[in-house]
Formats: sequence, structure tokens, C-alpha cells
Amino acid sequence: MSGDSDWAPLGVFEEQTLVAVLRTRDEAYGMHVRREIERVTGRELAIGAVYATLDRLEAKGLLQSRRVASGGPSRRLFQLTASGAGALHETRAMRERLWQGVDLARLLTMARG
Amino acid sequence: MSKPPPPPILPPPRLPVAVLRLLLPRAERDEVMADVLEEFGTRSREDGSAEARRWLWKQSMGSAPSLFRWTSWRGLTGFEPHANEFRPGGPMLKHLMADLRFASRRLRARPSYSVLAILTLALGIGGTAAVFGVARPLVLDPLPYGNEKSVVTFWFGGSWTEQEFVYLRGKFPGFKSVAAYRQGDMTLRDGDSPARLLPGITASAELFDVLGAPPMMGRTFQLGDDVQGAEPIVLLSYGVWQELGANPSIVGSRVTLDGTPRTVVGVMPRGFWFPDPSVRIWTPRPLNPEGQNGSYNFVGQVAPGQDPNNMAGPISALVKIIDERFDYSAEWDKTKGAEVFPIRESLLGKMQPAILATFAAMGLILLIACTNVAALMLGQVEGRAPELAVRAALGANRRRLTQPLVVEALVIGVVAGLLGAGLAAVGFGTLAHALPLGAWSESAQFDWTMFASAMVFAIIAVLLVVLIPSTSLFRHEDDLHGTLSRSRTGGIQGGGARVERGLVVAEVALAMLIASGAGLLVRSVTKLYAIDPGFTPSGVAVIDIVAGAGMTPPQRLAAMDELVNSVGALPGVTSSAMAMKLPLRGNGNNFGITVEGQPDREESSTFFRVASQDYFKTMGIAVTRGRTFDNTDQPDSTQLSVVINETLAKMYFPGVDPIGRRVGGGFGVPQRIVGVVADVAEGALLDPPKPTRYYLARQVWFGNNTSLVVKTSRPGDAEALLDMARTTVNRVAPNFAVQGTSTMNRVFDNAVGPARQIMTLLTLLSALALLLGAVGIYGVISHFVARRKRDWAIRVALGLPGRRVVTKILGQGATLVVAGIVIGAFASVAMSKLLASFLFGVTGIDPLAFAGASAVVLITGLIAAFVPARRAGSVDPALVLREQ
Repeated sequence: MSGDSDWAPLGVFEEQTLVAVLRTRDEAYGMHVRREIERVTGRELAIGAVYATLDRLEAKGLLQSRRVASGGPSRRLFQLTASGAGALHETRAMRERLWQGVDLARLLTMARG
Repeated sequence: MSKPPPPPILPPPRLPVAVLRLLLPRAERDEVMADVLEEFGTRSREDGSAEARRWLWKQSMGSAPSLFRWTSWRGLTGFEPHANEFRPGGPMLKHLMADLRFASRRLRARPSYSVLAILTLALGIGGTAAVFGVARPLVLDPLPYGNEKSVVTFWFGGSWTEQEFVYLRGKFPGFKSVAAYRQGDMTLRDGDSPARLLPGITASAELFDVLGAPPMMGRTFQLGDDVQGAEPIVLLSYGVWQELGANPSIVGSRVTLDGTPRTVVGVMPRGFWFPDPSVRIWTPRPLNPEGQNGSYNFVGQVAPGQDPNNMAGPISALVKIIDERFDYSAEWDKTKGAEVFPIRESLLGKMQPAILATFAAMGLILLIACTNVAALMLGQVEGRAPELAVRAALGANRRRLTQPLVVEALVIGVVAGLLGAGLAAVGFGTLAHALPLGAWSESAQFDWTMFASAMVFAIIAVLLVVLIPSTSLFRHEDDLHGTLSRSRTGGIQGGGARVERGLVVAEVALAMLIASGAGLLVRSVTKLYAIDPGFTPSGVAVIDIVAGAGMTPPQRLAAMDELVNSVGALPGVTSSAMAMKLPLRGNGNNFGITVEGQPDREESSTFFRVASQDYFKTMGIAVTRGRTFDNTDQPDSTQLSVVINETLAKMYFPGVDPIGRRVGGGFGVPQRIVGVVADVAEGALLDPPKPTRYYLARQVWFGNNTSLVVKTSRPGDAEALLDMARTTVNRVAPNFAVQGTSTMNRVFDNAVGPARQIMTLLTLLSALALLLGAVGIYGVISHFVARRKRDWAIRVALGLPGRRVVTKILGQGATLVVAGIVIGAFASVAMSKLLASFLFGVTGIDPLAFAGASAVVLITGLIAAFVPARRAGSVDPALVLREQ
């Protein structure tokens, strides 16, 4: 298989989650990731969806986690893997290719009605 | 201005928290819940409790779908994702779900196959579960007696006297305690309603201590209850207590039984029975040290340290005691055949063979059903051989290949189990009554254990079913290349069908086993019905009556007469009579006979019957000499008129005309023989004829129990008449209780005994077995035909006539069926022991029964094979060959 198609394109929420893991860095616990997404997007999230997505991304090998003992219950600390980084990069590159040549000014005018 | 106090922070609502906890994989539960609760706290502080609660509800609802998917993917255990491959619950669950979906899709896509498989299994499972439900209380459950293990019954049951018991009481060697009991039915009058009969037992005071049966309330019998002059008391069954209003303070109150008020001392718990479930009251009997009534049974608890199965020593000591005190005639010598029997065997033993035979037959049906489904599945697997081979070639391991099969069988099994439990629930009552269980048929109850057993049988069935196709699968796996190459050419050879054919042979053998059992029983029952009982049973209605207490014998007779006349006047009735004891209902009374002019004759006894004037006419008993009773026989005659049977005439008056001769015995009055009638099967159907004397009811003393017999002009009317006759009894003689109603035909059926009921059941079961077997043969031959369609087409194209194709395929089917019949016949010789106790006039190896069964099986098998054979014979080779 060629390198380009090594990663299936990420879903929007998967992309958001991966970016949030990046943004929270050493604090990338499920709770912080969720809050980060909520803070940036301004949306209220279903908690279950966040954890399930983190889990799925780990199963896909885009994230890896280790258990960290803290005061309360042990928590999983997430970290991007090489594949994760690759997938994110690829997704971003794909999006940029997609936007190339689109007249942004015209788009803005259209949106204003 | 002071700041308003912050709103109180409420604890999170419990339900959404519980929902979330339930849905989360266990490994993640604590972390996620901590997150949720922390967020809830934050929101409570910032937005107020109400808003936070709304958020939590929304979370639990909104998270549910994704959590559900997550959990089903991760597995309920929720192990780490990278460990999933090696843990149960992860991909395995996923595969299982996929297989479940696949199985249900496959089953839906082949409705005829699924319906056939499910129905077949459901019949087997339901039947087996129903028989199991009937059998369990009788075979597996403990008896309701605490001392079951140490209680035994004595030989000569039903023939011991009060005198013997009173003498032996306290002397029984090797026994802790022994009780005497006999039948003691009583009539209960409750207010103005007609008297009714309560089947009961009257016993010595030890009975309940011997059994080890405590009461539900009050007490059982105690010392002194059975002495002359003791206060009359009664112990009620749970059922009677319920019918009397379930009064919790019934102990100490009085009920009127047989016209005598008796104090209720206790109520037995629900589920207690002794000696069978029809018995509803127990009364102690004032024992007479000289009492000669010989109808008692002894039941005893062995002393501690004695082995109830090895009582030979104590029993021979007991025989010595008996021998020293009592003298017996040869026929009633109680020092002979002394033996005790475990109580379970003596109370329930008689039903065991019937239950075992039915259970065995049901088990065979289940086995046939399993074989059938296995053959069906095998056909499916063979058909999918190329697909499976491809999957195996692509790396599917054995488990991945077998799992869909197991899941498919499981789906079939679970549906069949549910359906079977339903069938068991419906058929259970019918089955309980179809089996010769007597009073136990009423006590059998459908309960959850039957449902559970249906499911257990379903699982067993599924395992059996899966065994064969999955083995054949492994065979394919070993021969991937072969299968793949063959599938390309479309020419799979017949060799793969060996297992399938084996299954059909097995099925036919099993069906043959049941059919030949049924054949044997049909033969014996036919022979039993061919016996001439000496009377005409058809069209005779029977109403068993117990005369109420408080009437003098003349009053009772007058009432009886009126009753006979009123019933005789009902429309469609040609004659009516009463009798103290009807034929085929046990031996009844014996009396010694003396014959005038034969003083040297050794004293011997004859059956003794009392009947009203039209008895012989009503029963259709032929008069061979002289006359029967008529209007000249009146109560005030100086001598009694006697009618004797042929056997008595032959025995006591060989070569002489007995008419006008005088006999004695039983009554002080002279007795003159007026007529001779044909021998009637008085006791049991198979007993040799016994000398019998008949007396006229209005001339002699008459007992409490009597049966009204009513002959109808048309045989079918007897059943219809019963209700009317019962009403007439209640109207004309409210003091009499109707004990039961029947017809002489039913009396005859009962006399024929369990063989008849087992025969009906086995015949039905063998029909079922044949049906299932036919389905199996049909399925296998169809599959065989379909698989070799190409071969047949080529042969037809080369000039083989279609007729020959049909005969060839039919020959294949016949070979299988004949092989099955031969194996089944051998097996049934071995199994016929199970039926031995029901057989009459045939041996276990009855050629006619076997021939009949074989013929039926063979014809059914050939018909089943003919349908697909004809289809193969009429194919158009051009169409078939163009297909591939």
C-alpha cells in the first residue's frame, strides 16, 4: 500500500479530539480533553462520546495511553502516536488542498446573504 | 445589604448516574464517573442545581448510544483495547454479534428450513419436558414423609384384620412403630347442599408418627385416639380446609361426617398425600381387639439401626409370632410370602414402567428431531462447502468456521426451547391424564422447572445437533484444495453424503423402535379387548352412590328403589338397576358356601353380590338356566332367591340341575337357587372365572356403597345421560352422595389397564416419529438429488428414461429405510423389556407387531423418498446442463 492512503481520513470529531489531545499536552486526560473541545468549540459534549472516541482512536493506533495514579481513581493519560501525528497531518493537508483556490471573499459575501 | 446565601448544592440525581454507570465499560467507569460528578459539582456552583441536574440528565441520555456501542465493542469487562484480541468480550463478542445477525439472516432467508428445524425440535423438546414434568414429582421428588427412607409396607396389603393388629401392636420386632390403615371414605353434609363424598383413610394412631408427617396446624393423631369410646376426630387435607372456607381457627371446630360430628384436630400441609393424592381426610379408628374386618394395610418405620432393605431377620421373627397365635386357611396364610417393601416402591412403583416407557419414547423423539435438524444443517453445510473452503483458505480458524454453525443451532434451539416450553405447558395436562397415573394425574402441576427443563433439553439438543455438521466441516478444512477444485467443476461426489445417510438410517431405526413398541401394545390391547367379560358394556351408564348416614336399612332400600325407578323413567332409558359391586372392579365380598346334601364338602368361599331385580337385563348378562329375580321374590319370602353363575354350577352341581337346590352361608335364612347366569369377569379382566352368588337387594341387608346402572337404548347416550342421572339422584335422594359417574365402557377401559393408555400414547408418538423420520428422508433425498442434478441430467441426456431415474433414487431411499428398519427391529427386541409389564398374549418378539411396524415405516419412508425422486426424474437435462 502506498503511504498516502495509509490512514483512513479522520472524522471531524476524531480530528477535534486528536487536536485537543495535542493542545492539552501533559494534561491529556479524558476530562481535560473534553473541556478543551467544549471550550474551543463552544458546544456541550456527551461525555460518553468523548471517552468512546479516545478509546477508538487508541484502538486505531492513533493515540496511546498509560494509566496514571492520581488522588482519585486511576486515569488514562493520552499521547499522540506517530500514526496519529501522521493522520492529523494528512487530514490537515487534505483540507488545505481542498480549500486551495476557493475564493474566500466571495464565500464571506454569500454567507452574509 | 447582605448577599443572598448561595443556593444549596443538591446531590446528583440517582437514576442518570446509575444509567451512566451501567453503560460504561467497567475499566473506565470510575474515571469517567469522577469526571461527570466533578463537572456536575462545577455546574451546580456556577449555574445552580436545577441547571446542573438538567445537564446530567441530558448527559446520561445523550451518552447512551455512544456508550452502548463502546461497551459492546470493548466488551462488558472493558479491558484495554490492545488486549482485546486475547480477552473474552472484545472481538469475540463482536464476532458473536455478527454471527447472530448472520444466523438470523440465514434463517429468515430459508424459512422452510428454519420452520422445519424449529418445529421439529420444539416437538421433541416440548414432549420431553412435559413427560419430565409429569415424571419428576413421581420419580425424583422425595415423598412428603420425613421418614421416607425408613418406612416400609407389609405383605398381604389390604388383608390384615384389627384383631391381628391389636395383638401384634408393640410386638413388631425390628420396628420402631407400625400403623394399620384402610380406606375410610366419608360423606360430608355442609348445610343444605347435597351430601358429598370425601375419600379418606381410617387408621391407627401411629400413622403420622410412622410417616414422619407433621401437620400444618393443630396436631395429627396421638395415643388414645384409636381406643373404643375416644372422641371422634378428623384430620383434614389442605384442599378440604380450603373448601371449608380456609378458616385459620378451624382446629377445635366440628364437621359432620357420615352423620356424626367430628372434631377437627389438625390440617395437613399443602402437597401432603397418603396413600395417594385423592385421599382428603384421615380419621383414627376405634380398634376392636376381636375385629375380623380384613382390609387393613400395615405401614411401619424400622427401628434405628435396621436396614429397611434387609428386614428378613425381623420379619421371620414376626412370622413366628403370627404363626403361634393365628391359624390360616391355605389361601390366606399370612406366614407365607412374608416381605416388606420400601414405601416409595409400594405407593408409586406401579406407575414407574409407564412413565419410563413414555419418557424413553419421548427421548427417542427428541433424538430423532436432533438427527433431523443435524441432517438439515449438514445439507446446508455441504451446500456451503466452497464458501467455507474459501474462508478457511483466507485464514479463518476452526472456531471462526464452527461458531456461525453453533450460533445458528443456538438460535434454532432457543426458539425451539421457548416454543417447546409452550407446547409442554399446553400438552402437559393432556399428557398427565393420558398416562395411567390415577390420582397423581391431578396432582401434577406445571411449574417453572418444566420451563427450565425445556431449556436444558434445548441446549442438549443443540449440542447434539451441532456435533455432526461441525465434524464434517473439519473434514472439509483438511481437504481445502479438493473442495475448492470440486466446487469449480460443480461435481461434488456422493461420498460426502455418507454421514447424512447414516443419520437417516439412525432416524428410521429410532422411528422403528417406537413404532414396534406401539405395535406390541396394539396387539396386546386388541387381545385384551377381545376378552368377553360376560356382560355388554356399551350403552350402560354408571352412577356410584354412597348412602347417607341416619337411615335404617328399610328406609335406605325404599330410597334406592325410588331412585332406580326415577332414573329408569328418564327418556332413552331401557332398564335400570343397582348393584353393590360392579364387575371388573375388584374382588369385593367373599362368603363361605354350604350346599344342602353335600355335608362333606370342604368349606370354600364364593363371590357374593347383591343387586336389584333388573340387574342382569341392564348389564346384558345372559341367563343360561332358570330365571333371574322377579316380582315373586319379596322381602317377606320364607327363603332367599339366589342366582348363581356357570362356574358355581359346574363346581358344586356337576351333572346335576342346580335349579331349586338349597345353599347356605352368609345368611341364617334358607336360600334357593332360581337361576344360572353366564360367568362375568367379576374381579379383574384376566382372572379365571370364580363361583359367584347373586342376591336380591330387597331380600338381604344392603351396604352403604352402591352403583346405579342405567341401560340406554342407544350406546352413545350413556355419557349424555350421566348429568341427568346425577341431578335425579340429588333431587330424589338428597341424602345420598354421588361418588362418581362413569360408563361400563370406561370401567372396561380401566380394567384393560395402563396398557391401553400407553398404547394410545405410543401410537401417537410413533406417528410423530414417523412424520419426523419422513421429513428427514425427504430432506436428505432432496439434497442428494439436488447435488447430483448434473449427473442425472447427463444420464437422461444420454438416453436414460426418467422412469429409471425415479426407481434408482427410490432404490437409494429404500436401502436407507430398510437398513434403519433392521437396526430398529434389533434394538426394539432389546427395548421390549421396558414394555413387558404391559404385554398380554404377545412376547417381546412378536412377528406380527414387527411386520406391521416395518410395513408402516417402509411405506412412509418410500413416500417421503418418492417426492424428490419424481422431481429428479422429470428434470429437463437441457436446462440443468445450461445452468453451469
